[in-house]
Amino acid sequence: MTLQQTSVPALRRPAKRRDKQRLWQEMAMIAPAVLLLAIFLITPFLLSFWTAMTNQPLVPRPTPVRFVGLLNFERVFTDPLFWTSLWNVTRFTVWVLPVQCGLAFLTALLLHQKLPMQNLLRGLFFLPAITSMVVVCVIWGTLFQYPSGPLNQIVSFLSGGTIQPIDWLGDPNWAMFSIVLLSAWQAYGFQMIIYLAGLQGIPEELYDAARIDGASALRRFWHVTMPGLRPTHVFVLVITTIQAFKLYTQVAILTQGGPKESTETVVHYMVRAGFEEQKLGYASAVSVILFVIVLLIALLQRKLLRRFDV
Amino acid sequence: MSDLALSQSAPLAIPRGNGKKTLRIVQSLCILVIALVMISPLFMLLIASLKDDRFRILADMGSFRAFWVSDPTLSNYKEIAHFSGELAYGRYLFNSLVILVSTVLGGLVINSMAGFVLAWGSLRGKAVLLALVVALYVIPQESIIMPLVVMMSRAGLTDTFAVQILPWVASPLYVFLFYQFFAQLPKELYEAAEMDGASAFRIYRSIYMPLSLPALATVSILMGIESWNQYLWPTLVTQTDYARPIAVAIATFFGQDSIYWDRAMAASVLMMIPVLILYLAFQRWFVSSFVGSAVKG
Repeated sequence: MTLQQTSVPALRRPAKRRDKQRLWQEMAMIAPAVLLLAIFLITPFLLSFWTAMTNQPLVPRPTPVRFVGLLNFERVFTDPLFWTSLWNVTRFTVWVLPVQCGLAFLTALLLHQKLPMQNLLRGLFFLPAITSMVVVCVIWGTLFQYPSGPLNQIVSFLSGGTIQPIDWLGDPNWAMFSIVLLSAWQAYGFQMIIYLAGLQGIPEELYDAARIDGASALRRFWHVTMPGLRPTHVFVLVITTIQAFKLYTQVAILTQGGPKESTETVVHYMVRAGFEEQKLGYASAVSVILFVIVLLIALLQRKLLRRFDV
Repeated sequence: MSDLALSQSAPLAIPRGNGKKTLRIVQSLCILVIALVMISPLFMLLIASLKDDRFRILADMGSFRAFWVSDPTLSNYKEIAHFSGELAYGRYLFNSLVILVSTVLGGLVINSMAGFVLAWGSLRGKAVLLALVVALYVIPQESIIMPLVVMMSRAGLTDTFAVQILPWVASPLYVFLFYQFFAQLPKELYEAAEMDGASAFRIYRSIYMPLSLPALATVSILMGIESWNQYLWPTLVTQTDYARPIAVAIATFFGQDSIYWDRAMAASVLMMIPVLILYLAFQRWFVSSFVGSAVKG
């Protein structure tokens, strides 16, 4: 394209050959990614729709696999345990959103200023986020000890001994809340970084202008900071919601969905159906439903962002 | 560094009272206290891993002794850091490292090449590919895992390193991040190199890669954390010690009647070290470049 400027006819043919060569090279460069995504993402994704409509077991049996239409979906939707798991992740999401995003927002506001040891402080706040969920379970497994673990000691100290020790992971009324606590602690660091980036994106002139107009710190926060962070809020809320709906690891390790199914989640339900009960078709139906949920949340984000005009 | 220079020169420009300075110190001390509260569970983990009696660990937990050990010992680490046998945490750690390094290195090369072609290539259908990448990003790992396990076991890949690396090397998110990063670099850069007759790969390798340290660092940290923390997938595709990663191994502590907290704590500390090093090494670029752009994507 750029070579046309030279406009020397003799140059055209080699240029064309070079274009062709370039095209081959580009294809070779993009091929590994395309190939890997086709094999490991697109194929299983399409397969999951097909498998969801069959009675395929996990381990192949001599009887042929039958096409059963939407039977699996019908069974999923009529299983009370599926609805319990959906209700549980909804509960989890509703609790974890304010705790985790609030914590992230608050720490980001604190850190968004010139501070001595700035990088060290940011690093400290980010440490839980690089901690593996399995390690988080080891730590909080001891914090939650009943009846005399650290959290119960703190509760008893703060309440002057009036509150009885809580069986954090063993009491159906508390188990999901405990999972919320450790999940929020583990993950808020990422949202904090996103908020920091968002805060940095608000032009300093806006604050200066507000200051000249005599706006108080509180008013500056409401009328400059908050509107400036709208896309950030939407983004953070959406990724936290999607993450929350995929709740699995901490539940699988600490409670296995119990006690009394109070922490059963959609992904845990799916894995159990697929690998303990070996009903692959059925589990695939659950995975398709999970995908639809995530897709709806992502579409909602797009809609909200457009509404906010960004 | 430049931040530091700025804050030091500031008093020259705007004379500040001592009161303001004190306020700032008090403020940052408050933040430091909050930070210490947030990371106290991690500190407790480190301290507990140095105590050799699991009952004492639990007994100490409820008091300030959780943050202090008068007779530190490495016996827990010695107990678990084997390369074979029942507590082969040396081996699990090594396995996880192999998986992490291969995934990140492979991912950096493959995703950045794809991102480069999407940004500057002359390939027709580029726009369609880019839209496809964005669409694929929505698919959660959890919802492809069922058929993928069956595919992998049919291919005879169960219990290998490959099965834990290959599926996660190429990723729509990282292709997109690289695309976004390359696309914002000036057009003249590409055109000048093209005029000089450099091939596409040459331009990518000698011009764009050296400019991409922030993007490479960000993707390394994100991919590294992701790979290191994989749990669901390796529980489904590993059955023996051969390729079992440390996350799956630590989780087995919870399956026992009485949890060996001392060993679990030591294994947890071992697991934290590599990802901590990765983070410290790349943190400088990470914080400044991370997702400022992703918010709009």
